[in-house]
Amino acid sequence: MLSAFFGGLVLAYAGMVGLCQGLERHYKQVWQRLPAPVLRRGLRLAGWASLAASFAASVAAWGWAMGPVGWFGLISLAGFALVMLLPYAPRLSLLLVPAGAFAWGLAWLIA
Amino acid sequence: MKKQTLTQAMAWLHTWSGLLFGWPLFAIFLTGSLAVFDQEIDHWMQPEVQRQDVPVALAAEHAVAYLQRHHADAGAWNIALPSERDPGLRVTAGDRRRGISTDLDPRTGEPLKVREAAGGSFFFHFHYTLNLPRQIGIWVVGLVALVTLATLVSGIIIHKKLFKEFFTFRPNKGQRSWLDFHNASGVLLMPFHLMIVYTGLVIFGLIYLPAALHALYDGDFEAFYQEAIGEAPHHHGPSRAPLATLVALGPLLAQAEERMGPLSAVSISHPGRSDALVEVRRVLGNRIALSKGHNMVFDGVSGKLLAGPPELRPSVLTQRVMFGLHFAQFGGYPMRWLYFFCGLVGSAMIASGLVLFTVKRRRKYLVEGRAGDFGHRLIEGLNVAVIAGLTLACIGLFWINRVLPVELAQRAGWELRLFFALWALTLLHGWWRPHLQAWREQLGLAALLCLGLPLLSALTVDHPWDDRTRLLLEATSVICGALLAWTTWRIGRRAEQPAPRRHKASAALEVN
Amino acid sequence: MRAVFSRAMAALLGGYAFTYAFTACLARLLPLDRVDSLLVASLPAFVVYALAVLWAFAARDAWRAWLGVPLALPLALIGFWPQLLEHLG
Repeated sequence: MLSAFFGGLVLAYAGMVGLCQGLERHYKQVWQRLPAPVLRRGLRLAGWASLAASFAASVAAWGWAMGPVGWFGLISLAGFALVMLLPYAPRLSLLLVPAGAFAWGLAWLIA
Repeated sequence: MKKQTLTQAMAWLHTWSGLLFGWPLFAIFLTGSLAVFDQEIDHWMQPEVQRQDVPVALAAEHAVAYLQRHHADAGAWNIALPSERDPGLRVTAGDRRRGISTDLDPRTGEPLKVREAAGGSFFFHFHYTLNLPRQIGIWVVGLVALVTLATLVSGIIIHKKLFKEFFTFRPNKGQRSWLDFHNASGVLLMPFHLMIVYTGLVIFGLIYLPAALHALYDGDFEAFYQEAIGEAPHHHGPSRAPLATLVALGPLLAQAEERMGPLSAVSISHPGRSDALVEVRRVLGNRIALSKGHNMVFDGVSGKLLAGPPELRPSVLTQRVMFGLHFAQFGGYPMRWLYFFCGLVGSAMIASGLVLFTVKRRRKYLVEGRAGDFGHRLIEGLNVAVIAGLTLACIGLFWINRVLPVELAQRAGWELRLFFALWALTLLHGWWRPHLQAWREQLGLAALLCLGLPLLSALTVDHPWDDRTRLLLEATSVICGALLAWTTWRIGRRAEQPAPRRHKASAALEVN
Repeated sequence: MRAVFSRAMAALLGGYAFTYAFTACLARLLPLDRVDSLLVASLPAFVVYALAVLWAFAARDAWRAWLGVPLALPLALIGFWPQLLEHLG
């Protein structure tokens, strides 16, 4: 259950990063240039896909009744954390995605 | 109020209801977030209780032996069994809430000397009564919740760039930053805010709005309850039945555990009589629906199962799911942490709204070239006392718990008296000190107390970190302390070099 | 100030009267068991109340803000019809 929970958290954060970076304003905030339209659409699509995967992970962690409740909590808090971090440490806020995925994978291998 | 557009009307409502009800609401949110971990806080505040791996059947056996020795003639016994969240074994003779309670060592059954403490249950009771007399408190909190619901909706209506600024936070820009923070914390956690406020109203819904109960049942709640859930057998008043030996609890507990999962408590009414009843309660939380009252009842002499946990009809189940969504007893510790953080972000959302009110006003006064009037001073002082002051008083309660002498009579009462005295002091301090200094000093002190909590434990308790619950609680306190210290430092920087004031006209444009 | 006070009262008291009557009426009219009617009418009642509060502040003038009260009367009549008959007869 814990593994699915952390997976859900990392995926929720990744999803929010995707949606956020799919917006011109926030892409520019990190990279100081505008994203190509294809990239923008790709980021958004990946964001939605990641949120959907996070939903699946929540259901795996809690089951069909509690999973959606937990999922709302995860994406809300992940989004809030991203919004707070983005202006202070733009690159770091994106780096958290691979870092989180790596930590999750490591924990999964160990466990 | 002059004639105005819908947005203006809603903005006006949001501003003023947010201000007036924001103060009690912040207190409700903050104590509610702490109440998510009420049993863990209870456990922390009674360091004499040790976590031990004892089978519940053995613990129950010890409890019954103790009760038979000391309270054989009591009309009812209650045994709170050790659980993952609260590893203590507590027996009560007489009424479950008002009877005489004793803490026992679950391994030996000997009474433990445990300090009286306000505990996390204080935060829980404060959360829904504000420490007023229960009936009044419930109504006051209900009024606050209803106004909050309207305020949330009006907030959505007046937020013009809800999607465009979904991820926007611009720090170091004075009023702009406060509004950004308020919007981000409000919008991103909107599902949580709406859910928690609405389900909170539903819990006492039939007290607040007994319309349908009056219309269909002539106000007879008992009749409704009987039809909706059905009542398990229970006793009223003392027993006149002849003496009889109490059934052994072990097999009953095993049977109950198999059917309902982990158990939390056993109640025995008329123990030692031939009409004795044994009610076994489960730990809440293997489903969302709040399963309070869904217990198994056994005959206390023969051990025959008299009533199982009732099956709920869909409408009652819906109501219980709404209760359960609020009480957050489901989904284990991961869910508890989600609720805790959502509650803290909600508290910060309310706090930022309250601060935003004064920031806007102060700016208006500066533009008009006059000092703030008495009302403004009052609002600023109240903001400090409610937001920083209550935070300080809450962490202060943890310190009071460790510092007050263990043998003090009426100790739990003194803990609370000191808690409220500390909170009252922050009000005086908030009024007396210049505004930003008051914020800094109170938040700074709260930060110190949070950061110093493990140290305090080390100085006052033997083996403070042997217990994982206490260790985690103190680690959480240190993290909160670090956040508070960072906030204090930011306020300090602002006090030294005030951000450059921007153009007058932009002030008016920034309402939304 | 008086207009504000009037609207606040319309929101809280007028809104309560309207919600109370609406819920009673709905519970009476729903073609379900007593238990189900009571819950199905009561659980969403605070949505109605919150909207009534918003209405009191959104209404064009202070009079319209009180609209819920006259509406409450017929709703309450339906909701408490049997009690009324018993009382009269």
